Amino acid sequence: MKRRTILAFMLDRPGVLNKVSMLIRKKMYNVDTLTVCSSRIEGISRMTITLQEDDERKVNQVIKQLEKFTEVISVKELHADNSYWREVAIVKLEVDGNHLETFRGNYNFEILDQKSEDIHIIQVAGSTRHIDGFLDAVGREYIIEIARTGASAMEK
Amino acid sequence: MNGKTLVVKALQEQGVKYVFGYTGGAIMPIFDEMDRQDSVQFIMSRHEQGAAFMAQGLSRASRSTGERKVGVCISTSGPGAMNLATGIADAYMDSVPVVAITGQVATGVIATDAFQESDVVGVMMPICKQTYMPLGADDVESTMHEAFYVAVTGRGGPVVVDLPKDVQNEEVSNGYNFDSSAFHPNLPGFLYHPTPEREPLQRAMYLINRSERPLVFCGHGVINANAGKLLQQFAEKVNIPIAFTLHGLSAVPADHPLSLGMMGMHGTVEANRAIMEADLLISFGMRFDDRVTGKLNEYARDADVIHVEIDPSEIEKNVATTVAINADVAQTLRAMLDDPMLTYKPRRRWFEKIEEYREVMKADLEAELAKGTGDGGGLLMKSIVHQLSKLTEGKDLIVPDVGQHQMMAARFYNYQTENSWFASGGAGTMGASLPMAIGVKLARPGERVWSICGDGGFQMNMQELGTVMEQQIDIKILLFNNGYLGMVRQWQTLFYDGRYAGTPMQSPDFGLIAQAYDIPYEKVENVKDIQPALQRAMDQKGAVFVEFVCDPTEVILPMIPAGGGFDDMIIKRPSPDKTAKKSGKEK
Ligand SMILES: Cc1ncc(C[n+]2csc(CCOP(=O)(O)OP(=O)(O)O)c2C)c(N)n1
Ligand SMILES: [Mg+2]
Repeated sequence: MKRRTILAFMLDRPGVLNKVSMLIRKKMYNVDTLTVCSSRIEGISRMTITLQEDDERKVNQVIKQLEKFTEVISVKELHADNSYWREVAIVKLEVDGNHLETFRGNYNFEILDQKSEDIHIIQVAGSTRHIDGFLDAVGREYIIEIARTGASAMEK
Repeated sequence: MNGKTLVVKALQEQGVKYVFGYTGGAIMPIFDEMDRQDSVQFIMSRHEQGAAFMAQGLSRASRSTGERKVGVCISTSGPGAMNLATGIADAYMDSVPVVAITGQVATGVIATDAFQESDVVGVMMPICKQTYMPLGADDVESTMHEAFYVAVTGRGGPVVVDLPKDVQNEEVSNGYNFDSSAFHPNLPGFLYHPTPEREPLQRAMYLINRSERPLVFCGHGVINANAGKLLQQFAEKVNIPIAFTLHGLSAVPADHPLSLGMMGMHGTVEANRAIMEADLLISFGMRFDDRVTGKLNEYARDADVIHVEIDPSEIEKNVATTVAINADVAQTLRAMLDDPMLTYKPRRRWFEKIEEYREVMKADLEAELAKGTGDGGGLLMKSIVHQLSKLTEGKDLIVPDVGQHQMMAARFYNYQTENSWFASGGAGTMGASLPMAIGVKLARPGERVWSICGDGGFQMNMQELGTVMEQQIDIKILLFNNGYLGMVRQWQTLFYDGRYAGTPMQSPDFGLIAQAYDIPYEKVENVKDIQPALQRAMDQKGAVFVEFVCDPTEVILPMIPAGGGFDDMIIKRPSPDKTAKKSGKEK
């Protein structure tokens, strides 16, 4: 299924997040990621939703129904080729420090904390694929705990 | 000034004359204030659901009058608000502006499962256009005005304002200052495009001029925009027949030569066959719901679609459009009528075909109407409606309930007055008629109002006879008593081999019920008594209750089975023995 990213701006009023998530539930999607943050303008929030859908018309329906909410100011779909999708992951890993350093060249990460000889808390930022690639390279079996922000996106 | 005075002030400024509802602990301050200020008249329903439908009736009936009103209903928290919910959901499905005010427990105890606390905003959010919960007295007035604005702007709908009890009593802060006349809600994304754009309009007119087998679709939006006359002029100018959705009925006189009557599941043969054959659908203010289209992939296969609709999210939802016009129906019709590009075309072959379709069921129907009784010997609903139509010359206001009688009222009353048909359509809520008729009568006191009910639906809200009695509401109640949940029985006859599970129903003595509420009553069992009884009901001042003993075997045809296509349309009555055979088991 195709991954879709929908970017919406809306008034920061109580219940808006609830409405958006209820609509997505009503349309029977399972949200992949949903991030909310404040925008440049006070009182207006920015929401990025990713979900899986192949059918263009269904995506347009979701967009139009989001636009219908009185609080929603604008909604559009962001396409992969003309926008940046980024996320951050914080990972607690059981891995030897020297081994970790061998990934430096290919992946952009920062060590936040070293708990013991081979327990590190690191931060890795980038596209979803970049983060997945890093985790695969290090070996997912070494993950003790992971926190990912979900995608935030911006048009080029 | 405090929360409650500002609520009443806002109601007054919005021109609210009636508030329908029921009191209780969490809403008492506002009731007390309404009583003290005496600017709005409170009408007590006997159940909050009744109040929501009364508010709907007032909204629906007033949209064609010079003074368009938003119906207002009010309840206490918890169970009171929950009882409103069905009427709110119904208003949302039918795009009816309503403002509902609900009491809420005090802010200090919200979310502690306080006595009579329900999460009203949470429950109502998916079944209404907008919800509010002002958390301080300073926000009350702007919230109330925004609620009215949202309810009527663009596609109408219900709005719920949940008011914590302490906010009702709270004083506004020092220096509070609000000017309602200068107020405009800050909703930058809540846009509404009433004016059609030039380019799609031109493409639409090009398609219209070119079309050989076009149809005009008249939906609820035409009634809401008060555009019946414009639609009629448009159809006459281009010479295109009109098919109506359930809610489009009464926008144009039903016997207009271009009228094909209702479309969809229980629509006429001529409307539905024409849709199958059409090369262009010009649809105004409708949403192509499943009762209208049947199986989508078989729907109007050869037709281009022009979709004029105020709500952009309805465009392309169910049916692919060739030209989308997101605009007000009245403005779009005016723009096209003013354009010299639009031309008349005789379309003789198309009309010949339609005349053929009109004949398909004509003889059967005429025979039924002439006889007036069904296979079981009881009265036919269609012939009662037909007689009512003749007697009132199609000019009265009709408020049906939900079921077979509703479809009979849709099909066999000859609507002459614009906006004279008020039905629960999108939700199909049994019990809507009696309370809705009360609201309709209050909005249009000079016109005669008929509440046409089935024995099932009537009993869902018959407590509202109390309001009829108390307020001396002059409505004519016609009860079509067939001893069954008839519409469901019809499906059982057609699709469940005549097994009547859960549809036979024992009813009380309606004569005694009417008497208990001091409403004149009569019972009609013979065809010859229908007309005189209706005449007496018309002549009687005040409310009247007439019960008709109807035939349970009557079916409303044609019928397109749920999920079926137009090719599956049933036009022949099931053989009498198929329904009669099971009668031993039925009661
Ligand atoms: C509140 C509600 N419950 C159930 C239904 C399902 N339903 C639709 S029509 C109908 C039968 C209505 O019976 P009655 O009021 O006697 O009218 P009739 O069809 O016999 O004319 C039922 C049960 C409904 N529409 N609304
Ligand atoms: Mg019945």
